[in-house]
Amino acid sequence: MKKLVEISLGVVTSVGGFLEIGSIATAAQGGAAFGFQLIWAIVLGTVCIIFIVEMAGRFSAVSHHTISDAIRERFGFNFFLWPLLATLLVNSLVLAAEIGGASVALEFATGASFRWWALPVAFAIWLLLWKGTFGVIEKGVSMLGLVTLCFVVAAFELRPDWTAVAAGALPSLPQHDAGSYWFTAVSILGASISPYLFLFYSAGAIEDKWDSSYLGANRAIAGLGMSFGGTISVAVLIVAALVLPPQGIHQIDDYHQLPLLLTSVFGWWGFVLFTASLFIACFGASLEIGLQQAYLVAQGFGWNWGEDLKPSDNPGFSAVYSLAIFASAILMVLGLDPLKLTNFSMALTAASLPLTIVPMLFLMNDERYVKDRRNGWIGNAAVIFVIALGFVLAVVSIPLEIFGQS
Amino acid sequence: MHLVRDVLDKQIVDRNKTKIGKVDGLVAEMRDGQPPRVLFIEIGSIALARRLGPRLQRWASRLAERLGGRKHREAHHIPWQEVRDIGVDIDIDIDVRDTAIFDWQDWLRDHIIRRIPGGA
Amino acid sequence: MIVQSRLTNLELLVGRPVLAADGRRIGRIEEIRAQQQGDDLVVVEYHVGGYASLVRLSASRMGSAVLGLFHLRDRNGGYRVPWDRLDLSDVERPRLRCPVDDLAPLEQDRGG
Repeated sequence: MKKLVEISLGVVTSVGGFLEIGSIATAAQGGAAFGFQLIWAIVLGTVCIIFIVEMAGRFSAVSHHTISDAIRERFGFNFFLWPLLATLLVNSLVLAAEIGGASVALEFATGASFRWWALPVAFAIWLLLWKGTFGVIEKGVSMLGLVTLCFVVAAFELRPDWTAVAAGALPSLPQHDAGSYWFTAVSILGASISPYLFLFYSAGAIEDKWDSSYLGANRAIAGLGMSFGGTISVAVLIVAALVLPPQGIHQIDDYHQLPLLLTSVFGWWGFVLFTASLFIACFGASLEIGLQQAYLVAQGFGWNWGEDLKPSDNPGFSAVYSLAIFASAILMVLGLDPLKLTNFSMALTAASLPLTIVPMLFLMNDERYVKDRRNGWIGNAAVIFVIALGFVLAVVSIPLEIFGQS
Repeated sequence: MHLVRDVLDKQIVDRNKTKIGKVDGLVAEMRDGQPPRVLFIEIGSIALARRLGPRLQRWASRLAERLGGRKHREAHHIPWQEVRDIGVDIDIDIDVRDTAIFDWQDWLRDHIIRRIPGGA
Repeated sequence: MIVQSRLTNLELLVGRPVLAADGRRIGRIEEIRAQQQGDDLVVVEYHVGGYASLVRLSASRMGSAVLGLFHLRDRNGGYRVPWDRLDLSDVERPRLRCPVDDLAPLEQDRGG
């Protein structure tokens, strides 16, 4: 019975925590420019992340190590340095975009520029990490994140042609703007398969003290949580596809266009719902990424770590997330456009995938860590697929970044 | 015992189960006519810097000495005799507070973290 | 730099190529096996292999399989080099002290 509660909580947490500025912006862009055609990218990304997250949870529950930890231990420091630096860099850009997203939401609510809100938002994130515990942060904020379900309601309200939606779930070639199409597809995949997601999930499994008895719960949480979360992304795309082109918007190049997603459906309430959704989604993601930066460094170097500990018990860990949050916030204070940074960092995330997923292939088959819970052939096939996808994304994302944005 | 598989880069845990770092280095004494003897484990950024290159290590040593004094010029040593168990983690029979390993974290705690409300 | 006589950092040996007497590379140092002898832990042998040991990939079956797929693995699987057969007077260039044929092979499935 207790496990059932834990599973429900885990699913709710995953659903509420799924959406963030990357998934919102890329799904909205996909819908505005290409209708339902890019739904397959969201589906593909979601399926991949389900496999990877389940593996991350299984790995941590059985080995009692996090993935960051294990990459250093298993492959040595010299190798570990590469995923460490790449992930720290990419995460800092994504974190800046999330802080930007929350600040933009406050700009919508108050009229004051997001640049003024960046530091207060950063301070609030930092304060919550400084004084809060893992349970409160993970579950509390994610519960609030359920407000993003309003996108699903909006999608239904708009009565789309569901057969057309289903058709969009199958991959298709673009009829126009091939460069932009594939760039958006790459960005959607980067938003769905972010390394911080599964690294954080793995650390969270240790924070929540999972063991082998949680393997079934892990499968349920990964499967259901990510599926429902992905559904919300699809809903954002559907809403964008139906609401933006009729208003002449085929390209989202200004974040002020985003609230139209819900104002067109719900009017003034849509504005409130959008602003709340954007703020909570980005704030929640910021907490996760901030923590993940600290997890990565602390676990890689063997320091004491844990969000439940007081900062004075893990000074190194606390210092890293504090620095990470404010360093990322500076980018927003300086006035970097949150939307452009989001698109850029999603492409960069896609490019950095191989560095963290390739070690996973070896870790998930190493009996010393996962004992008898090694990957079966399906699991390995999935990881190899994601690695191949990661390499393709790594190779094409930078050229597309340059040529796809027209 | 496999030193690379089971010792190098593994988590070190002290007498009080505190995580103190990873095995960043392993020093052995080369002896004539006898097998090399493992003397101590190294912990710290100096040892890590050396793995990346000798020039980087010299730079790291100079920086550490300037910040923390002469005793921080070398990596921290844990004599192999203090290793109690090698399993998931490497258990050692030392209290980390008797070493200089946490000096920088202690400095952070006392000079910055304790000064911020909620830190202690 | 404070240097005491003949102290070596073992982690720096990992991944270093080992040369045979004729200068031919026979592989890289992948693993160092040690044994308790009385109060001391001493190094008994070095595992030198054709595996891409830089990232220590070979220790799992999947790792071996993947490496084999990309032909990064020697057919013979590597050698066990007893401690007295490896000349470490130049730590950056380990040399074999005996003919390659004298060396015992490493088994494919490394259990012990």
